[in-house]
Amino acid sequence: MADFIFRYRWIIILLCLLTGVGSALIIPKTKIDPEMRNYVPQSIESRVETDKIESEFGVQDIVVILFSDTCIIGTNNLNQIKDIDRSISRINGVSSRISPFTVKSIMSEEGMMTVDPLIRQIPSDTAGLAKLGKDILENRFARDIVVSSDLTTASITATINSSVTEKETLQKIDSVINSTPGRAKIIKGGLPYIRQSLAKDVSKDAVMLIPAALLIMLLILKVNLGSWRSVMMPFSVVILTTAFSMALIPLTGWKMSIITLLVPVILIAVANNYGIYLVARFQELSYRHKEASKKELITILIRSLNMPILFSGLTTVAGILGLLTHSIIPAKQVGVLAAAGVSLALFMSLMLIPALIFVNGTDLITKKPGKDKTMLFDKVLTRLSKLIINNPGKILLVSATAIIIFSTGIGFLRINTNQENYFSSKHPVRQASELINSKFGGSQTISLMITGDIKDPEIMKGIDVLTTRIEQEKGVGSVFSISQVVREMSKAIYTSTEYGYDQIPETREAIAQMFELYNMSGSPDDFKQLTDLDNTKAHILIRLSDPEIEIIRSVKTRISELTVNFPAEVSIGGYAIIMADFAESIIKGQISSLLFAIITVLLLLTIIFRSVKGGLIGSIPLVASILILFGFMGYTKIALDAATALLSSIMIGVGVDFTIQYIWCFNLQIRSGLSYPEATAASMKTIGRSIIINALSVMAGFGVLVFSGFTSIRFFGYLVLISMGSCLVGALVIIPAFLMKYRPGFIGFETGNKKTGKNEKENSIIRVTTAAFAGSSSTA
Amino acid sequence: MQAAAQQPDAGQIMSKSRDLSITGSLSANINLTITEKGGAIRNRTIAMTTKSYTDGLEKRFIRFIEPADVRGTAMLVVDNKNMADEMWIYLPALKKTRRIVTSEKGKSFMSSEFSNADMSSPTLSDFVNRHLNKSGINNQWIIESVPVNEDKADEYGYSRKISYISIDKNQVQKMEFYNFDNELFKIIEIKSIFPLSDGKYLVKNMVANNLNTNRKSEILFSNIDEGIKVDDSYFTIQNLER
Repeated sequence: MADFIFRYRWIIILLCLLTGVGSALIIPKTKIDPEMRNYVPQSIESRVETDKIESEFGVQDIVVILFSDTCIIGTNNLNQIKDIDRSISRINGVSSRISPFTVKSIMSEEGMMTVDPLIRQIPSDTAGLAKLGKDILENRFARDIVVSSDLTTASITATINSSVTEKETLQKIDSVINSTPGRAKIIKGGLPYIRQSLAKDVSKDAVMLIPAALLIMLLILKVNLGSWRSVMMPFSVVILTTAFSMALIPLTGWKMSIITLLVPVILIAVANNYGIYLVARFQELSYRHKEASKKELITILIRSLNMPILFSGLTTVAGILGLLTHSIIPAKQVGVLAAAGVSLALFMSLMLIPALIFVNGTDLITKKPGKDKTMLFDKVLTRLSKLIINNPGKILLVSATAIIIFSTGIGFLRINTNQENYFSSKHPVRQASELINSKFGGSQTISLMITGDIKDPEIMKGIDVLTTRIEQEKGVGSVFSISQVVREMSKAIYTSTEYGYDQIPETREAIAQMFELYNMSGSPDDFKQLTDLDNTKAHILIRLSDPEIEIIRSVKTRISELTVNFPAEVSIGGYAIIMADFAESIIKGQISSLLFAIITVLLLLTIIFRSVKGGLIGSIPLVASILILFGFMGYTKIALDAATALLSSIMIGVGVDFTIQYIWCFNLQIRSGLSYPEATAASMKTIGRSIIINALSVMAGFGVLVFSGFTSIRFFGYLVLISMGSCLVGALVIIPAFLMKYRPGFIGFETGNKKTGKNEKENSIIRVTTAAFAGSSSTA
Repeated sequence: MQAAAQQPDAGQIMSKSRDLSITGSLSANINLTITEKGGAIRNRTIAMTTKSYTDGLEKRFIRFIEPADVRGTAMLVVDNKNMADEMWIYLPALKKTRRIVTSEKGKSFMSSEFSNADMSSPTLSDFVNRHLNKSGINNQWIIESVPVNEDKADEYGYSRKISYISIDKNQVQKMEFYNFDNELFKIIEIKSIFPLSDGKYLVKNMVANNLNTNRKSEILFSNIDEGIKVDDSYFTIQNLER
């Protein structure tokens, strides 16, 4: 392989460069997809049902514009709301809206049924305003729907359609709001605005986090490798592989989501590892073997480091590939993109870096790091190794106790698929959502579609029962259905003492004629969201004031119970139901990806250590870290969501390296004739430092995520620190103590560096370098 | 500019056209066919008797024939030119008569693509009219009508209307309606007229196409009986419940 690299070095360099340039040209074509429903496959039942309902009643994504003041029922405020409402009604992308100026008052006065706008004329005097306030509070279609009960907030709720792009519609709404100043404070909310903010913040995050992560990596490389020329070798691998993975997004027709934002950060944190080993080792070799030629050193470098680097890379790829078993679409995409990136990083590290070294070799030799730099590490690691050597049993006991204590937190682990929680509590979108949820029945919805003869009194009564029962469910803000309109009309037709008042009529004709009555007095458009024109389908819209997953599940279960013997076909859909399925997918995906990653890593460890027992022991830190991670999340109430669900697979992929490195090194020490305590002390002093620096560089890379605009991604950043810390402790405390205590038989396995017999000098150097891979004191 | 100066005032043309379409008294059956985007068809049939008064007042008596579940439903409409229409409706299944009040002319007529305004003669003072390019050639006036203010625009539900009127007969042939983004969203075509004995005419068949929803509505008058003598007592609430 070395000969191949020497011969084709320029072609290798050129190909890698072209890959990078090509990728860079493709990246700008990346599109952003802030739509969370696209995270779940189109074929799942909730999406199929939702699509079916939306094909009949339109997309139920609502934009909510909130107007707040100490008292919103004032002439100026109402004029402002009216002007904005009027302008919004004229926007093409808005199909319908509910506002204080669209709400109707169905009344019966002296034998007249009047269907009049709630606000015919804006009152200009105090008495008129007071009466209007009273009318609003008495109108079931107004109170807490268009004006809050405390009369401090009014809302315009617009249902948007797809005749123009959502972006264009929101721009027009924004322009209307900006050009209509007034006294009331205006807040915009609803899923389209959440999506807009997500799209904006994803771009903002990408622009901020990627350069920040790169800068941190650059500093870490500079500290570890010294010369800029050395730094640029692994750094170029980071840049090229990150660019390649990001270019795969538009190439595959995928879109960038909040989740795929993790890909560049994963690659920046991980892709440099292999390059660091190679460059640092070359520096070490050059320093120690000044007499050897560049070709000889590179040949030795490749022969000695290929296997451990390959193992390290393969386990990382295996862990990340666990994400493919997720049913969450962006999780699979992250799996593919990160695995492709790490694989390319592995390939480039093994091909490009030796080629670059060959071209630049002699300039890479740096001064041997001074002893001061390693003194602190040495002191800490010497103390740690003494502790482990003298008390392996106690250490294992304390570790097991800590793991058990942490793992009890798993019972408190919860799942969160609510997009609103991606934003901090101060974010305008979050504030709007909280206001909508607390005062206007909520912005997230469940939709029920009833298919049958809607004029049939049995079906209409069924809808009515369903409506009133669901209204009483916890977390339900409001329910809208055609039966409410029918009952309200009955109140205008009958007097309160007559039979039929506030009831569903007994005959089909009576209902049909009521509809006709409304068509003549109001407008069929008033309830086109509630029944189709043929009256063969009805829509019950449930708004959730508390869109947490437990609430959604509970409402869904209640709906299923209530519709067991329903006299018509009932379809359940809506954004909230998709999110409930999404939560289900997160749990299933979490379990399957964990199993996949653990089994694959176990198999790889078994192959690497040539022992099943070795594989099992090597997996201990991973299992412990998983328990600690989930337990920590449970105690700190950090929920499993679309982003944090990816963490365990990434942690397995990256964190297993530490254990491999330690056991590999420990094995070499034992094979070189050291006793278990001596091998522990030697391994700790040599590889321990490498592992710590490696872990710190990974943590630092991922650490930039704590500056993300998204709460979930920030939590991901914090959790990486916990999980990498656990893996680190697992590799440097639990594993050494376990090996000391139980002295498993697999230790002493072959490392695969057989003598070739062709060059004694090379062989003698390989022996040094193989041990040195495991025990560098100058590298990460 | 020179051509425009030679043209009659656009408002006058609209006024003349409107006068020709105002009928005295007549009775007819009206069949309304609504064709959905996918081709599904809904039919409604009503029997209507109208009487016009010299002060612009118009009374209409409507009885539903089809569909079966609303058969017997009857309506009495008093179309006041300068104030809200008055309507009474009798619901046989509920045995109740209720008065309903509405003033929104832009509302859909019987769930069709036609609005209430399309079904009655336009109030000229609600619009500012002007000739458009090519008005006056090919025997056709092309006149744009813009609601006089925002309230009227809201009431009618459009930003402007373009009427195509035959010069020789002063009959509206086609109307185009533009939404508030100035995009064409509805076209009404007059397919045939029924000439009345006093030189006026009744639109017998017209089709409305909604370009947003791709829905089509067609109104067809049949059994037209003009000049019938209808007693004022016919247009009473008592008669509704018979």
